[in-house]
Amino acid sequence: MLGLLKQIISQTAERISSQVLDYVPGFLAALFILAVALIVAKSIRWMLLKMIKGISIDRFLRKVGLTAGTEKWKAPQLAAQFTYWSILAIGALAALNSFNSQLTTRIIETAVFLFPKLLVAAAIIVISAWLGRYFGRSTLVWAVNENMPSPRLLAAAVRGFFIFSGVVTAADHLDFARSVFIAAFILILGGVVLCAALALGLNGREALHRYLDEGKKGSAESEDRPLWRHL
Amino acid sequence: MNDELLSQDVHKALAEIGGADIVVGIPSYNNAATIGHVVAATQAGLEKYFPQYRGVIINSDGTSNDGTRDAVLKTGLDKGQLLLVTTPLFPVHRLSFPYHGIPGKGSAFRLIFQIAHHLGAKACAVVDSDLRSITPEWIDLLLRPILHAGFDFVAPYYHRHKYDGTITNSIVYPLTRSLYGLRVRQPIGGDFGVAPGLLKRYLERNDWETDTARFGIDIWMTTIAIAEGFRICQSFLGAKLHNAKDPGLDLSAMLHQVVGSVFRLMQDYQSVWMARTGSQDVDLFGFRYGVGLDPIEVNTDRMLAAFRRGCEELGDVWSTALSRETYETVQKLGRSIDGSENSRIDDSLWAQIILEFAIAYKRQPVERAHLLKSLTPLYLARVASFVLQTKLLASEEVEKEIEHLCLCFEQKKPELIRQWNGENHPSSRKPEKAKL
Repeated sequence: MLGLLKQIISQTAERISSQVLDYVPGFLAALFILAVALIVAKSIRWMLLKMIKGISIDRFLRKVGLTAGTEKWKAPQLAAQFTYWSILAIGALAALNSFNSQLTTRIIETAVFLFPKLLVAAAIIVISAWLGRYFGRSTLVWAVNENMPSPRLLAAAVRGFFIFSGVVTAADHLDFARSVFIAAFILILGGVVLCAALALGLNGREALHRYLDEGKKGSAESEDRPLWRHL
Repeated sequence: MNDELLSQDVHKALAEIGGADIVVGIPSYNNAATIGHVVAATQAGLEKYFPQYRGVIINSDGTSNDGTRDAVLKTGLDKGQLLLVTTPLFPVHRLSFPYHGIPGKGSAFRLIFQIAHHLGAKACAVVDSDLRSITPEWIDLLLRPILHAGFDFVAPYYHRHKYDGTITNSIVYPLTRSLYGLRVRQPIGGDFGVAPGLLKRYLERNDWETDTARFGIDIWMTTIAIAEGFRICQSFLGAKLHNAKDPGLDLSAMLHQVVGSVFRLMQDYQSVWMARTGSQDVDLFGFRYGVGLDPIEVNTDRMLAAFRRGCEELGDVWSTALSRETYETVQKLGRSIDGSENSRIDDSLWAQIILEFAIAYKRQPVERAHLLKSLTPLYLARVASFVLQTKLLASEEVEKEIEHLCLCFEQKKPELIRQWNGENHPSSRKPEKAKL
């Protein structure tokens, strides 16, 4: 009985040790690759921070209107951090590859195929956020100058519309919950159009009356308008 | 500078005329009510003061739908009342063409200049089509310095109501004077005389499709003349009485076009204005006399309300242009402004605001439209402050106040140059508030 137990234990230990021995080289290689990636990432981040200081990226970003929202993070830090994490991600994939198993191969393949799509999706969201911010500001300034009610709300709506459009496009590009996003987009857009149509319809009569009254009063009233002889 | 921009109709009409010594241009858009008087005064001026010259009056019209062009071509002139000493040797031709391109005063001027250049004119003048106070003497005063004294550019000098021309008085005159060192009192007056050399230079420029095509044209012409060293003088034209600008036009758009043109030209001519210090008078022709002016009512409450609203809503946009100190002063004023001595946008603060916006305009090209349009509430607050400050003052005293503002701009110029060159830029000391 004891002999049988011994045999089972020794066979199990052998199997485990052989499996561990199978994985040890891969594991060590993975650790090595990760360590190298970490060193390379840190070195490049350090070098980038030193180099980019001389390049006026902040000035460029200010020129293209991308500074707001990133004021806590300086542009050189952002670039350096992005590079650092990119190198680490590549290192992690390479480390996984050293195991040479079906699972890791599939993970790497997925990551490699998804990476360009992720980049494009991120670019779509960044661009839509920038457009949203730009047109949101345009709306804000216009609404204030025209004395419109709730200018900040209008600006936020415009900004939200652009960002949401960007998210829908990015989700469509990634093939991620495509129908959900598109349906939500259509529902929201439809709701906005319906609200606008109702508002226009309900207030249109009054506005038309005002417009016709103004027309009758002619130029006499136009002299009262605030735009008097600024030039 | 090419004649291909002139249509077949224009070419045909010009071929019939052959050439001209003097061209007077009148840009218009729905000015049927006033343009007849302007055309009559111009023709009388040409026949009375320049009888030996071949004169042409060009109306450059923005497709008016009120019969403006008919008014130009059909307006009669009772020559019996002109008491002409010399019979004109040549008839004064009148032409009216629609201009093409971006709708605006600048595009209208472009057509006039092209025609003047094509006809080989020795002098060209432009006058606004909404003038009620123009007389034949204006034509003499705008053209004679060019034809007989060798000047290249004649700027107008008017008597205006103290609240008339507020963009001129609060921004364009002080800024242009402090930058380029010449005291051209009405740099965007709208009525100018131009010599052929300068005309050619205008047509050579490739920035006609910018704000120059709209209300930026006046300051564009004046600045080029000053900055490129052309001979400049002013002519005293008396009172400027004119219809209000198109009330449908958005003030912020007009401010954007005029101030944007000044800021853009600051970049083009930075080597010129950086080298100039102080300012000097410009020759003034014509006999100066006092005139009665139309009263102007101003609603300062509405302006101050617009400013308060701007402080509440536009802090984020202003904070990208203004330094921390200026921004905080403006926000503090937003809570307390009432136009009293201690609670208004004074000369120093106003000059500081404009100069910081000029720097921001240079450094943030993408944000330019926002910056310029967001200036409107600040401008209105400044106008309201000025109106309340000068309520009891006579015109001469108001002129002294404007002189004080100009001196503030001149005093701040060294700081402007430092900041323009990248030193101590306001954005390096940003306000903390940044909401949108």
